[in-house]
Amino acid sequence: MTADMQRWRELLASPAEYTEYLKARDRDVGACLEIRVSGHEGPLVDAGSPPSGSLAGLPFAVKNNIAVKGWRLTCGSKLLSEVVAPYTATAVGRLVDAGAVVVATTNLDEFGMGSSTDNSALARTNNPRDLSRVAGGSSGGSAAAVAAGEVPFALGTDTGGSVRQPAAFCGVYGLKPTYGAVSRFGLTAYASSLETIGVLASSPDLAERVFETMRARDPRDQTSVERPAEESGDARSDAFGGTSVRRVAALRVGEGLSPEVSDVYRDSIRAMRECGIEVDEIDIPSLEYAVPAYYTIAAAEASANLARFNGIRYGIRPFHSDSPQDLIMDARSDGLGAEVKLRIMLGTFVLRSGFQEQYYEKAQRIRTRIGRDMDSVFAAYGALLSPVFPTPAFVHGDSSMDAFAQRLADKFTVTANLAGIPALSFPAGVRGGLPVGLQLHAPAFAERRLFDLMRSLAERFPALPCGGPVDKGGAL
Amino acid sequence: MDHAELMLTAELAAIRLKDGELERLGVEVDRMLEYFDVMDSVDVSSFEPTTHASGQCVSLRPDVPSEGDVALAAGGRDAASIESMLDQAGDLEGRLIVIPNVL
Repeated sequence: MTADMQRWRELLASPAEYTEYLKARDRDVGACLEIRVSGHEGPLVDAGSPPSGSLAGLPFAVKNNIAVKGWRLTCGSKLLSEVVAPYTATAVGRLVDAGAVVVATTNLDEFGMGSSTDNSALARTNNPRDLSRVAGGSSGGSAAAVAAGEVPFALGTDTGGSVRQPAAFCGVYGLKPTYGAVSRFGLTAYASSLETIGVLASSPDLAERVFETMRARDPRDQTSVERPAEESGDARSDAFGGTSVRRVAALRVGEGLSPEVSDVYRDSIRAMRECGIEVDEIDIPSLEYAVPAYYTIAAAEASANLARFNGIRYGIRPFHSDSPQDLIMDARSDGLGAEVKLRIMLGTFVLRSGFQEQYYEKAQRIRTRIGRDMDSVFAAYGALLSPVFPTPAFVHGDSSMDAFAQRLADKFTVTANLAGIPALSFPAGVRGGLPVGLQLHAPAFAERRLFDLMRSLAERFPALPCGGPVDKGGAL
Repeated sequence: MDHAELMLTAELAAIRLKDGELERLGVEVDRMLEYFDVMDSVDVSSFEPTTHASGQCVSLRPDVPSEGDVALAAGGRDAASIESMLDQAGDLEGRLIVIPNVL
């Protein structure tokens, strides 16, 4: 166990101290919606005894659209602000079984819809590296909690970039796993065919350990799958030699990157080449259609998934209604935010009779083409490098980053969700005191390749210290 | 999308839009639909639509009690008790959820 892990273990063994520490750290950051370290009987872990379980004694935070029994499950929505989860998500349960302890739930864009966490109806989250800026989204609270040094890792969800983008903004690691690798049971569905539970962590090794602990087929999620035989057991290497990925494709990016991201991207390609990796810049023309296809599919699925939130069985409902239909309309109209309403409306429209072929079916065909194009990339290269977001973390309310601009800026992240492949966002540089993240994609179920590659590049791409601003060495 | 289409879509989505909201959402929906039109410029007719993200068939478990059911029966960690579900309801009368008159 590293000194860092031992420190977390000791913190968790003193619930009162840890609570004070967490609350003090979170005061300006606002990452957490609920903090609960104490309330358990006796110390949670005994710092003196040897740890049992692969994550024994490690505290973690959970994005508040993932169920933890007995904790509120708000999804960042006014409508669900009083709902208490009646069961625990499989992914969380597997981590708890391995000895990790939930200490907080984290803020998010309502139902995971946004890139700033400013779409939360419940709290404002600031970027620990610069409090005037957003933490990214939609798993902004989880990324901020890790970057602020509140927890060593946190769970997020990634439907179109919602783990990787806040990880990039906050200077931590963010893994979006292969679709189906981690059970979605207990995740409040937004776009079922695109989303995965992912990890935000202070180091790639810890992110991998958490992922390996969570991944498993779950009878309660019919889309979860066994890990393929070639990735199981001690078969450490893959078709490209695991640790020895020698050819990486880098997405050619024309205009549209901020000078900071462009600079870090160019530098990183150069650094990889200096590390002996052959990097070819490539074009993937179908990605031009990725964002419209993604939003068509995501909105369609959202309109169906969110239809259940009607105030009848749970959720905030109006004091008086004349009819059940009125109750439903009022509960949804008052309880849902603007971005959520827009996506539900869009999804309802594209699924309407007469429009399905024009929008939804077309988007599904584009999705197939993008998947095939990614297969072609991985037939020739071990991994694909790309930016995560066109800019570093932006200032709250930045007029050049309105809701529409934020959606367009998903252009680098939605590909992994459409193709169902894993992608790892990592801190690649710092410009003007702000972290800049890039991401590496791999074929389905080749997460290990991403971590091996990251380890082989550790000297050139070191982890940023967590705890606060980068220029203060991570200290608050 | 004209006013009537917008109102119909909102009704299907079970969302009541206030005046200002209707106008603002209408503009936003139009902007996204216009943006979606970029998909018209690509011919993907030779590709089948993706109907499953990982290409896996739906996997069904055998029709026998599973661990989840046992946990439920035993009130285990993953069990969602009826009481904890009922506690979430906005208005209860005994063990019944109250809603406005249907007739």
